[in-house]
Amino acid sequence: MADVANGVALALDGGGGSYALSALLAQDDRVALAAIRVLGADVLAPYALGRAAGGGPDGQSAGGPDGQLVRRALAAYPPGADASDVSRWSYQGLAEATRAFLPDEGTSGYSGTEPAGGGANPADGQPYADRFSYSLSPENAGPAGSPNPANPASPAGSAADAWLRDAPWPKLSHRASQLAALALPGLAPALAAGLAARTEDLARGFVRAVRRRDWLQAAGVGRWLVRAPDVPDSLGLEAGMVYVRRMSGGDPRVALHALAARRFPGGGSR
Amino acid sequence: MATELTAPVETALAVEVEGLLDSAEPEGIYRDTRECGGGLLLAGLLLISPPTPRPTKTDAR
Repeated sequence: MADVANGVALALDGGGGSYALSALLAQDDRVALAAIRVLGADVLAPYALGRAAGGGPDGQSAGGPDGQLVRRALAAYPPGADASDVSRWSYQGLAEATRAFLPDEGTSGYSGTEPAGGGANPADGQPYADRFSYSLSPENAGPAGSPNPANPASPAGSAADAWLRDAPWPKLSHRASQLAALALPGLAPALAAGLAARTEDLARGFVRAVRRRDWLQAAGVGRWLVRAPDVPDSLGLEAGMVYVRRMSGGDPRVALHALAARRFPGGGSR
Repeated sequence: MATELTAPVETALAVEVEGLLDSAEPEGIYRDTRECGGGLLLAGLLLISPPTPRPTKTDAR
């Protein structure tokens, strides 16, 4: 996992020009596929960079080597019936990232196995951002194999999304950091909006994580914060992310989050 | 035969993936500054408070 995270971080640092996920791994290695599943949508972050800035790696389609590799990872490690919410969201995030960042030419894109506990996909034809918004909470997902209704436009408009509104700030921050890979632009707009509504709580969570020396959580929360509006200047987020990266002792996942935060800014400060 | 041999490894990997995806927070103690400040103030007030008045002893000779 460290190798993959390092590869992605290096690609983000250098603009992603020659990035190829398939070049980082042995294709049939189940451990490598597990690493992809754990890192989630972040393994395709350099492609998102390409979309956002017009640069990035040379275009690959979902049928290319990277797309096939991600598909294998999704098929090898689908969330089971007793899987955690985070696992399901991460699964769907990776599937959506494949559709979004490695678009297939003229076909429906990802067609791997669906998770046992839900996560069926809505009809094709919707923008990928809208398609993911329904899965903000697993309660929104219907039974296995059935299509899910799209989430209301409001990010925290249903009872199923209650954790975004009601979770205590330490828990919110922990979960937000677990879902940091979904902070890629356009991937989970409803989740981003829901978290943006709790910017102050995330800022408290960032400080808490730093004080607990939980660098991975701090970097993950920082990734959402760079996208959030009205982040207080007193937080010192930019310097804080540099500090977190240095203090992590070269943890590749922390470096990945820190570089992704730098590469995909948004929101603003006050 | 090969499937029988690899199945436990695959299951273990799947469990590990789930664990990494939804990992618990590492142990750590975090004290909220405001709560600590309140506790400190209370302790200070207790320390500087005058002693409880006690009845003066009268010498019963």
